[in-house]
Amino acid sequence: MIVPVAPVLELEDVRKSFGSQAALVGASFSLGPAERLALLGPNGAGKTTLIRCLAGRTRPDAGQIRMLGQAIGSGGVRDFLGVVPQEIAVYSDLTTRENLTVFGRFHGLRGRILRERVRWALGWTGLEPRSSDLVGTFSGGMKRRVNLACGVLHRPKVLLLDEPTVGVDPQSREQIFRMLEELSEAGTAILLTTHHLDEAQTNSDRIVIIDRGAVVASGTFDDLVRETVGGDRVVRLRVDRPLDEAAEPALNRHRGGDDGSAIRRAGDHVLTARIGDVARELPGLIRTVREAGYGVDDVEVRSPSLHHVFLHLTGRQLRD
Amino acid sequence: MVWTVFTTHVRRLLHNRVELLLTFVVPVVFFSVFALIFARGVGMTPRVRVAIVDEAATPVSGALSEAFAENPGLRLMPDGDGVGWTRREAERSVRRGGVSMAIVLHEQRGRLAADLLADSSDQVAGQVVEAIVTRGLAMGSLPGRPGGAGLAGASGRRGPAVSGAPAETGRTFPGAPSGRGDVAIAQAGFTDADSLAADVKEDVETAATPRVRVVDVMGDDKANPVISMYAAGIAVMFLLFGATTGGGVLLEEKESHTLERLLSTRLTMDQLLLGKWFYLTAVGIVQVTVMFVWGQAVFGVDLRGHLDGFAMMTLVTASAAAAFGLLLATLCKTRGQLNALAVIVVLTMSALGGSMVPRYVMSPELRQAGLWTFNAWALDGYDKVFWRDLPAAELSPQLGVLAACGFGFLVVARLMAMRWETE
Repeated sequence: MIVPVAPVLELEDVRKSFGSQAALVGASFSLGPAERLALLGPNGAGKTTLIRCLAGRTRPDAGQIRMLGQAIGSGGVRDFLGVVPQEIAVYSDLTTRENLTVFGRFHGLRGRILRERVRWALGWTGLEPRSSDLVGTFSGGMKRRVNLACGVLHRPKVLLLDEPTVGVDPQSREQIFRMLEELSEAGTAILLTTHHLDEAQTNSDRIVIIDRGAVVASGTFDDLVRETVGGDRVVRLRVDRPLDEAAEPALNRHRGGDDGSAIRRAGDHVLTARIGDVARELPGLIRTVREAGYGVDDVEVRSPSLHHVFLHLTGRQLRD
Repeated sequence: MVWTVFTTHVRRLLHNRVELLLTFVVPVVFFSVFALIFARGVGMTPRVRVAIVDEAATPVSGALSEAFAENPGLRLMPDGDGVGWTRREAERSVRRGGVSMAIVLHEQRGRLAADLLADSSDQVAGQVVEAIVTRGLAMGSLPGRPGGAGLAGASGRRGPAVSGAPAETGRTFPGAPSGRGDVAIAQAGFTDADSLAADVKEDVETAATPRVRVVDVMGDDKANPVISMYAAGIAVMFLLFGATTGGGVLLEEKESHTLERLLSTRLTMDQLLLGKWFYLTAVGIVQVTVMFVWGQAVFGVDLRGHLDGFAMMTLVTASAAAAFGLLLATLCKTRGQLNALAVIVVLTMSALGGSMVPRYVMSPELRQAGLWTFNAWALDGYDKVFWRDLPAAELSPQLGVLAACGFGFLVVARLMAMRWETE
């Protein structure tokens, strides 16, 4: 029997306007314990306002935000929340250890617990050898790790991350997501905004897409794909000679995918088609092309991506 | 290419209002401030505040007293009613800074003489009054030349500074630039230097020489008053610069989003501002202390002898300066704005408040305007401590004003910072 778990964070019909500009027009979603949730949306969609509302920095005009059952503005909530802004919001003229100690103190840690948490953070970030170096001398990836560590010293139940990997090389990105995975395994719920769709796809349990101040889709990647672009794979076939119109009747005999669409020309030598079940339908598709008189030089099968989902839902690229 | 570089910079300058302000407005503002101080472009000619004590009580001394009271270079204190004081009252007033000098007319071996009770920190006043009194006594003692008529005629005329040795004088100004008998008349009220010198020479030759004795009531054992005045002036100016620079960290934190992060922890804005205020105050105290310790070690400022007054003034001044730095920071949106504002405000306050030029050389209007600045109150307080040796209770006006300012600045800074807490 599955026991329903109460969400650690709940948003209900959150609204916020700045003058005549509506930033949030009724955003609602929730975040479960230890869940990793990616918040996606084009620029100006309301992500930053939403994060600020969650961090208690912006007061919503209407709606409710609750963390562990308490209203977000109430006193004790701050101890459950970790915030890691997009900017490197640490003191570059302090050392790694000094930064960690300072932010630990601001989060209410003292004495032995503080020292232990700082030691843990230095190990977690892999910055122990650089603990006495000024953060201003670090590379972008190292600064990001310090930035991240300063937000989790107090073991928050919910961690808000705004673009945690912006401007970071692939190795550092990978390291940061490994660190986040450790946190998640330790029970911290993570809400992150990102412009990297692949990051959201591979490093989150659930995705919330926000556009024009409202949540337009929410669910796992598979849910979103199924509900939007469908589960079909797109197959691209490169044929051995230029396609001519005489072959079309033979090619049109093939019907594939959820919508039963035909094979389409995508260039002089390229055909595309949609198939639902790769193992079952791909051999038949190749056979149809051969029967139409063409040899198949290359086959590429593409799964639907978050990019397709995003475009489908918002009609815009992520960075529009 | 060169032209492109040139036009690019012109365009950037035109887009940058702060740089435009610093380039074109600040120099004009400062020129105007110093023009007002030195050229007296606005307001009345500075007059030396004096009290007159007539111990001789003769018709001639009475006429001289009236003539001095009418002299345009002198301003009888308090409010024109400084005649009638005793020597002790006059001396006390000089010590407290109520008047710059007291003229005590008395008889000496049957002749009219004058003791000038002086505050030697005001070197201009000392020389001006000495010249006026010397000439007045010389003319007043001429046989057949009633002092009142002669002096009234002389006092009606105004003109440039003159040098001369009209009468025997005795000076005891520590650090004063001129020597015995060398009288520089800056505000004596004469038009023609040569005619004055000729007059005086004739008087001296034809009459008994009157005596003018300058008595430094502040004491001869002190270091040059200019040293402690400048130690305080420079210390307060840099205290303000330091405080505004320190306050600017708040804007840096805001710009880097560190402020937002800090406020998402247990830290509140009240705690943040108070923490910064304590820090800036502590740094300010150390800064001023270092300045005065250096002043004592190298220039002989008596810090050890005035520790209580120094501690009180420094604590209150540093705390008010810290609050002022935070106020300026919270009034601005960016660090660049703050830098421009700090340069303008701090330099203007320093110029008007006496950190750059002693306030006693300013016109009464500018002196009055100086009281709206932070520096003037702080410097007056340090002056009372180091120069006038006044007891701590005498610092109440300065301590009160500075403490009230500090409190007011902090309250306004807190109110301004509310906009950063939540939207």
